[in-house]
Amino acid sequence: MAPDEKALRADLAKAMFRAAVAKGRWRQISIAWPHVFIAVTAKDGREFVLRFDCTGFPATPPTAGPWDMQRNAVLAADLWPRSKGGRLGAVFNHGWKNGTALYLPCDWESIAGHGHWQTQMPSKIWRPDAGLPQYLELVHELLNCRDYLPPARAAA
Amino acid sequence: METIDIFYQGHGIREIEHIEADRDHTVAVIKEILFKKHGCEADTLIFLEDRETPLEDHVVIFELVQSASANLHLHRCRHVEVTVRFNGKPVDHKFAPSVTIAHIKRWAAVKKFGMTEEEAGEHLLQIAGTKDRPAPGVHVGTLTSCPACKVIFDLVPDERVNG
Repeated sequence: MAPDEKALRADLAKAMFRAAVAKGRWRQISIAWPHVFIAVTAKDGREFVLRFDCTGFPATPPTAGPWDMQRNAVLAADLWPRSKGGRLGAVFNHGWKNGTALYLPCDWESIAGHGHWQTQMPSKIWRPDAGLPQYLELVHELLNCRDYLPPARAAA
Repeated sequence: METIDIFYQGHGIREIEHIEADRDHTVAVIKEILFKKHGCEADTLIFLEDRETPLEDHVVIFELVQSASANLHLHRCRHVEVTVRFNGKPVDHKFAPSVTIAHIKRWAAVKKFGMTEEEAGEHLLQIAGTKDRPAPGVHVGTLTSCPACKVIFDLVPDERVNG
């Protein structure tokens, strides 16, 4: 097993990850290296699966986007969580990187070209020692904030 | 025998740790296991997350939580003196060390500074003099040093990601 996969599997076995699983905040679905599929629970109980690419973990930040496990494809736009106009909409932007990455400073695809985030948002920059829970905490917080609205297709 | 997952933090144990215990284990038994593992002082107390009073030794944790897991805290102090500053105004309260950052933020933002839930959601607690913004599930007792358990936070805006 490659060092990055070994490190990722060790991260998922840590109490920090498992404590959140026990609280129903997120859960691991599967690993198909270098991809890791994790469902994050929103405030209405709906789960959004993220497909993480963990190549180079933990030195290299992961990148993740909403994923449709049945179609094995990027989640259709009308199934993405919606925003009331606040901060969730900027992060869950299906037009960004064709929906393969969330617009977060801890995301490998998104930090590229955004060097100013290092000083503007130091707490959201990837920290290898914090591991995947750092990324998942930010996503879980957004899916449970007042700005969250269920997907358009579900609400229709 | 069925088991219960015990997740815990504590003074000097900032990262969440885990043990598996039997469902009939009392606080006294859990104490013995954890004190041995971490070399705790004999007067260390065990708290349930977000509860104000320490657990008594005879309590069976599974019977208390009625769940497959419990979140505990180990600390020698019964209270942590917390100050939260916002717009130059400080508010103070003594919290149990097992109280989460999420609980303290809501207390400060909504109850003390009169924010709406939406406004509170746009703010975070940052340890004064640092850029450290503990995650919502962190127990405040992990951020202090006994015996003068005290921590000062600034309530700061959570920057929106854009641009």
